Amino acid sequence: MNASLLILEYAVVGLALAILLLDLWVPASCKAKLGHLAAFTLTGILLASFAMHPETAHYAFKQSYVLDGLSLFFKRFFILAAILVLLISVEFADRMPTGISEYYALILFALTGMMLAASASDFAMVFVSLELITVTFYILTSFQRNRTRSLESGVKYLILGALSSAFMVYGIALIFGAAGTMKFTAILASSAALATKPLFLLGLLLTFSGLAFKVAAFPFQIWAPDVYQGAPVPSTAFLAVGSKAAGFVLLLRVLMGTVPNITAQWAPLLMLVAGVTILYGNLCAIPQRNLKRLLGYSSIGNAGYLLLGLAASNQAGAGAILYYLSGYLFSVLAAFAVISVVSRQTDDEDISIVSGLHKRSPLLAAALALGFISLAGIPPLAGFFGKFLLLKSIIPNVGQPGVALLLGTALFGIAVSFYYYLGVVRAIYWGKNNSDLPPIAVPVPVRLVLYVCIAGMLYLGCFPNSPLGTATRAVLALKP
Amino acid sequence: MNHPVGLQEYLIVSAALFCLGLFGVIARRNLFVIYMSLELMLNAANLALVALSRFTNNLDGQVMVLFIITVAAAEVAVGLALIVALYRKRQTAHTEDLASLKL
Repeated sequence: MNASLLILEYAVVGLALAILLLDLWVPASCKAKLGHLAAFTLTGILLASFAMHPETAHYAFKQSYVLDGLSLFFKRFFILAAILVLLISVEFADRMPTGISEYYALILFALTGMMLAASASDFAMVFVSLELITVTFYILTSFQRNRTRSLESGVKYLILGALSSAFMVYGIALIFGAAGTMKFTAILASSAALATKPLFLLGLLLTFSGLAFKVAAFPFQIWAPDVYQGAPVPSTAFLAVGSKAAGFVLLLRVLMGTVPNITAQWAPLLMLVAGVTILYGNLCAIPQRNLKRLLGYSSIGNAGYLLLGLAASNQAGAGAILYYLSGYLFSVLAAFAVISVVSRQTDDEDISIVSGLHKRSPLLAAALALGFISLAGIPPLAGFFGKFLLLKSIIPNVGQPGVALLLGTALFGIAVSFYYYLGVVRAIYWGKNNSDLPPIAVPVPVRLVLYVCIAGMLYLGCFPNSPLGTATRAVLALKP
Repeated sequence: MNHPVGLQEYLIVSAALFCLGLFGVIARRNLFVIYMSLELMLNAANLALVALSRFTNNLDGQVMVLFIITVAAAEVAVGLALIVALYRKRQTAHTEDLASLKL
């Protein structure tokens, strides 16, 4: 028992409670600024996390919590995402009806759930941390209570989220019945015997569907476009980055860290899910006119690419997932930060609002264009090298049936995605609609977010060696 | 005939409850009924966990049930508040009316 391993989580929970308490004393006009305080303190926590160097895995709570390279990588990832989202939500604060301090606190509680998910080493922990994320997101998505769209997206997320939780809980019950334990270490030790038990396989399949919901993979992707469109922009941004990454860290832990032999057998299933998810996300994104909805479909497509790394079921694939998620964080948060600022006047997210954006604000135009170019996977930005690594990781399996077809599908998906991503870029620089509108003033915190995102995309894309090395070292934790 | 109830029977009942809940979620159109069906699915899992725990003499399953009940209570509190907020706004609790976001 070594509860001091959870020091980062304690710090984040403490910060969330402090924000809730401070809300009682801070005058109403300054409440929005609490977000700056939260972001600033989180930056301190992020820097403090670099003092931790777990060479080996450390366990707490009877091996249900693990601190190793992988969990630390993802904890830093989530904290960075939360800092940027908090800065975006300060800009968004005046569009919330009430309770902006609760909004910041909820972001921090969701962050705690994600950090615990990164360290889960027991199915009970998986369930509790995922529910902490999901229940918090029910509120975050429906936070603009005065807007029907926000409420409706919250209810849709609620019903489908609760359904996926039910699947996952039943799966965990079956896994417990077949294995007699919920601990990852114990299941790994007997995974060869468990691979022949149908009850265990069914339980694992149900658990996989619960996680597939979190990452918006086919056939559990149906919620994503509606929720992305209806939720407030900062909630959507955090959902796109944090919730998806939490799903993937758990998929990595369960499928690659706990039952690697079964994952190897299931490669055809994973490849099928990945292929259909890529096709669905990219093809449905083509006719979209709403930027947030477009990013919803794009997030489905990206879940498909990330599943390629899982289907490869090797260390290179896992490392590629970590690298791709890092690039995805910067690209998507840049896009949402810009959407948050630009949609201020129009209360609408149609593509036409960014038309002629470069005349109104060169910084916003450059950030949004770079974000979409990175998502499309054009060098030298982060998205290109990430997609390249994911595709490369599955090439050693090319002898297996279907892998060639999957590679073809992935390349087709990338080609299709050029069309709709570059359509937005064209609107930004060559659109004629709004260029006579007044210039947009970008607040300093959003400026900071955009600079960080642009720097991140360029750094990951131009100097991939050092971040890739970090990712490769982090996934060593998955080696049995 | 005094046949003792075994693990098999519990698991069959639990699977039946799960399927009933799933059917309710798919077939019903009222948000409150859908939400009740979801709770039924969670309780199916609880029944399976308690039975498996009892018949294998491993208390981990029963502890898990306590976690699930606690989390489900939190989920219901948030969920009902959300559905009521939507009802106040739209005067409806039917899934067909949730169409302001285009499908």
